[in-house]
Amino acid sequence: MSENILIELKGLTKRYGYGDTESFALKDFDLTIKRGEFIMIMGPSGCGKTTLLNIIGLLDRATKGEYILNGENVASISSRRQSRLRAKKIGFIFQNFNLIEDLPILENVALPLIYSGYSKTARLKNASSALKRFHLQEREYYLPYQLSGGQQQRVAIARAIVSDPEIILADEPTGNLDSRSSHVVMEELKAIHEEGNTIIMVTHNPALTVYATRVINMLDGQIDTDVKTVADQNLPQPISVKIKKKKDNFAALELPESKESRKSRRKNRRKK
Amino acid sequence: MASLIKTHFKLARTSIKENRTRSFLTCLGIAIGVASIVLILSLMGGISNLVKSEISEIGSDLIVVRPSSTKDNITNIVEELTSANNFQKSNLTVSDVSEIAKIEGVSAAAPIAISTNTVTSEKNTFSSVPVLGTNLDFIKIEPLALKFGGFLNEQNEENAVVLGHTLSLALFNTINSTVGKTINIMGEKFMIVGVLDEVEKSINFDNIDFDNALIMDVKSLDKITGSTQIQQINVKAANTDSLAKISEDIRNSLVTQKLGDQNFSVSYGDAITHPASSLFTIVSGMLTLVAAISLVVGGIGIMNIMLVSVAERSHEIGVRKAVGASSRNILMQFLFEALILSILGGIFGLILGYVLAFIISTRTPFTPFISWEIVLLTFLTTLIVGIIFGIYPAVKAASKNPIDSLKHYR
Repeated sequence: MSENILIELKGLTKRYGYGDTESFALKDFDLTIKRGEFIMIMGPSGCGKTTLLNIIGLLDRATKGEYILNGENVASISSRRQSRLRAKKIGFIFQNFNLIEDLPILENVALPLIYSGYSKTARLKNASSALKRFHLQEREYYLPYQLSGGQQQRVAIARAIVSDPEIILADEPTGNLDSRSSHVVMEELKAIHEEGNTIIMVTHNPALTVYATRVINMLDGQIDTDVKTVADQNLPQPISVKIKKKKDNFAALELPESKESRKSRRKNRRKK
Repeated sequence: MASLIKTHFKLARTSIKENRTRSFLTCLGIAIGVASIVLILSLMGGISNLVKSEISEIGSDLIVVRPSSTKDNITNIVEELTSANNFQKSNLTVSDVSEIAKIEGVSAAAPIAISTNTVTSEKNTFSSVPVLGTNLDFIKIEPLALKFGGFLNEQNEENAVVLGHTLSLALFNTINSTVGKTINIMGEKFMIVGVLDEVEKSINFDNIDFDNALIMDVKSLDKITGSTQIQQINVKAANTDSLAKISEDIRNSLVTQKLGDQNFSVSYGDAITHPASSLFTIVSGMLTLVAAISLVVGGIGIMNIMLVSVAERSHEIGVRKAVGASSRNILMQFLFEALILSILGGIFGLILGYVLAFIISTRTPFTPFISWEIVLLTFLTTLIVGIIFGIYPAVKAASKNPIDSLKHYR
């Protein structure tokens, strides 16, 4: 069982400011994430969702508490190895895509491979096949601004998965997209998840929770609710969840979700 | 690693290309600094090459005695530079020459005394003609070619002169029929016995422009001017192996003769060019220092532009860090960019400096000389400038917090 635990957060605290201006983005935050989970984190603005994602993605450090990634305490990992982990094991997807404007999308996708030591040919080959998966192969040499928002986000997803990471961190990936593009993007994420990736996604849109296997609601830097919404067949072990407080208002979400998820799965199958 | 360096190189190239004007101007700052250094060094190299080649033409058996000791310090040389006529204080005499000639192993010794006089011919009068007073041995030491006539000899030495090529033209408008004519110097009549062939190089260790000079016996010169100052005694050794011993003998003999006065120097080999070359060293050193200041200014330009670049590319830095670039990767990326700017400027400056030196050399008797040392120096200097002025912006870029950087949208 323990080998299936990917991420373990214990008493994680992130404090900003000191004294009178002191505020906590995370406060004694405990969470265990297993391989293959598709977690959606919801909550009002300023409840610490993005901070949590940044800490999990090794972009930020907690003020206090332990973060154990793959059985290794992150505090003991050198910053250089952390960067390498970011390049190889973690894929980031952002709300505003965060593509480099001056680089053609092929090179944008190839970016993480630069830092994990691939040769140029291998980089471009992998990036090209990643783009092909998202039906963007004819636009390899477009610059980001020449693409629509949905296409840009698909480029960003291609970049996130190009180095075959274990964890995909998505910070409101559909926040800047219209509903049609959001749907396409979510379908892509779902497909990636079905391949066995662990996805942690922050969102404001409750309708998207249908894709998740687990929905966490945050409030003031702590877990408000933590619900396993879909039994994931990819997880061999049942999910053990540390729950601080549990409210029953999630039942409402479970109902429409199951229908839609079935639909989307069918669509996916047709695509394949 | 090699692949990463190649990538950094490519990234830097892309970024430099993207801001073409900006990069060009930055390079220009470095190029001007480098060009001035290269210009100075290559011209200096050309000059000392010329002097050296002359020494080797004359042969390695030459010993030169000069008044006042050539100490290796700056004050001495600066003094030499600033005094209006440093030859005035010469303490060498004609009798010294004959003493030196007696020393074993010396095959010839010729004094060099220069004064400027007014020379009158049947056609023209010229003032400030350099008159070289020497003796019969002079032609044995200096390989001066005569166009017409001969050099001074024992029969005519008292009232014969030899004219330089240009001087002959100036005085008589010809070089063909000058031999046998007479000229008048301070009331004394002299007969022209020879005309020198044109001398290609106007710079030599005697400091005489032979084309414009008039050569006569030192005793005759003494007679007409009253007091002659011997600036230099050229000594030819019988064989090249015992130069050290002969020059030591000359020194001892002179010290005895002058009752302990050591205000002269005896030099041979490369040291003959010493006064000239140490002068060059100091002048070129000072000029290089001035040029180095412009290089520093160029370096500040690089730093400035790199800081702008880092600020502009905050977002890119954030993205790169988020997808796995370590601080070191970012540091290298920006350092490479600064280095490439600097080295490009260096290459540009090297070419510019050489072209300028070449243009200047069309009006001087020497060709600019670029040794591999200059090229290496240029490369190292630009490398160091690039590192010094590129490291701060690069560190600044590397230490950016990825989360904050990602908030910088364009």
